[in-house]
Amino acid sequence: MKLDKRWPPVPAGILIGVSMLLAWIVAGRGIGASGGMTRFVAWVQHGLFPAATVESAYFGKYFANAAHPLNDYVVFLLAGLLIGAFVAAWLTGRLRFEVLRGPRSTVAYRIVLALGGGVISGFAARLARGCTSGHALVGGAELSVGAWVFMMCIFAGGWMAAWFVRKQWI
Amino acid sequence: MDMIAPLVKTGVIDAATNLWLAIPIGFIFGFALFHAGFTDSRRIAWAFYFKDVGVPVVMFSAIVTGMLGLWGMSLIGFIDISKVYMLPTYLLPMAIGGLLFGIGMVVGGYCPGTAIAAFATGKIDGIVFIVGFLIGSLIFGDFFPVWGDFYNSDYMGAFRLDQWLGIGLGPTVLLIVLAAVAGSLFLRQVQYRFWSAKEAHPKAEQVLKLQGGLIATAVVIAIVLAFFETPSFIDDTVEPPHYIVPRN
Repeated sequence: MKLDKRWPPVPAGILIGVSMLLAWIVAGRGIGASGGMTRFVAWVQHGLFPAATVESAYFGKYFANAAHPLNDYVVFLLAGLLIGAFVAAWLTGRLRFEVLRGPRSTVAYRIVLALGGGVISGFAARLARGCTSGHALVGGAELSVGAWVFMMCIFAGGWMAAWFVRKQWI
Repeated sequence: MDMIAPLVKTGVIDAATNLWLAIPIGFIFGFALFHAGFTDSRRIAWAFYFKDVGVPVVMFSAIVTGMLGLWGMSLIGFIDISKVYMLPTYLLPMAIGGLLFGIGMVVGGYCPGTAIAAFATGKIDGIVFIVGFLIGSLIFGDFFPVWGDFYNSDYMGAFRLDQWLGIGLGPTVLLIVLAAVAGSLFLRQVQYRFWSAKEAHPKAEQVLKLQGGLIATAVVIAIVLAFFETPSFIDDTVEPPHYIVPRN
């Protein structure tokens, strides 16, 4: 497989699976993206409102025993993810500042929806205890019933909402 | 027999080394996300219009690889499955979370991991999605008492599909592999039926052979696994450690 263009879906998916396997072998846990982002936002809020964040019913656990919220496995994974995607795009000449959107969408429309979609996903990922990577993929491979229900509901929710935002994409 | 994996739980490596090894593992994950086309929000969103069903195909491939690898390594005694963190099930919160997450995905065009990968490749909508995601996480955490009870409801412990179906773990693995292959082929047909026909790929035949070979390998491994009894995958004599949530 040459590196000058994107891979077909099956080998690309297998490589994601390989990163999951390595995490199980080394750390005994899966990969994940949303956990690191939650820790990051807890750390930012702690910088602004230290007392309230430490006492928070949800974020407080990241600061238990004077721990630093960023000194955690999921944060190191995110650092690697960032570098890995950058290197892959750089090797294929795909590094470019741009706003991706469908042919009928304006930049402003896309930006507003990207922000709104982010807010919904951020809330949903915390409610479900994970996102696509750590929950659906890792939990799915572990045969977790909750992960399979989560994954089916992702596609159901996406298909339900697709019609309303079709001008953004097609 | 002493199993050597997970390395950090069996004492082969220390906690600090484990932390640093997360970086190369994340690197592979990010590298693969790019090659899966997941740094392009259009490609992710198009899955919900059947315009490009690459997203579910990649997801199925990753799950099948992880599933065959994890349970296969447990079967041959390489990894101590009782030391692997298993995702517990909170049925209703996960179902509602999934519905909302799907809406967020088609509206925003990303999920967290893909948004970070897209940001790394310069996609401005990726960083905007990340900002939104952080705000959403913050809302959940800061108003946690409002939905905390719901969040912790409908708890079922570490509940696996094979236990739910009442069949063996091996046959369940085989069923999932077959469903993934059938689902992928079906979704592709829907894509070709409603959107433009197959784009002419210069190496179409090579790609077909490669992917067909990989899928055939997975099916063969799954058929082999289907012949083993569930206890051979999970050593029941091992006491589950505290971080594995027992079923109640």
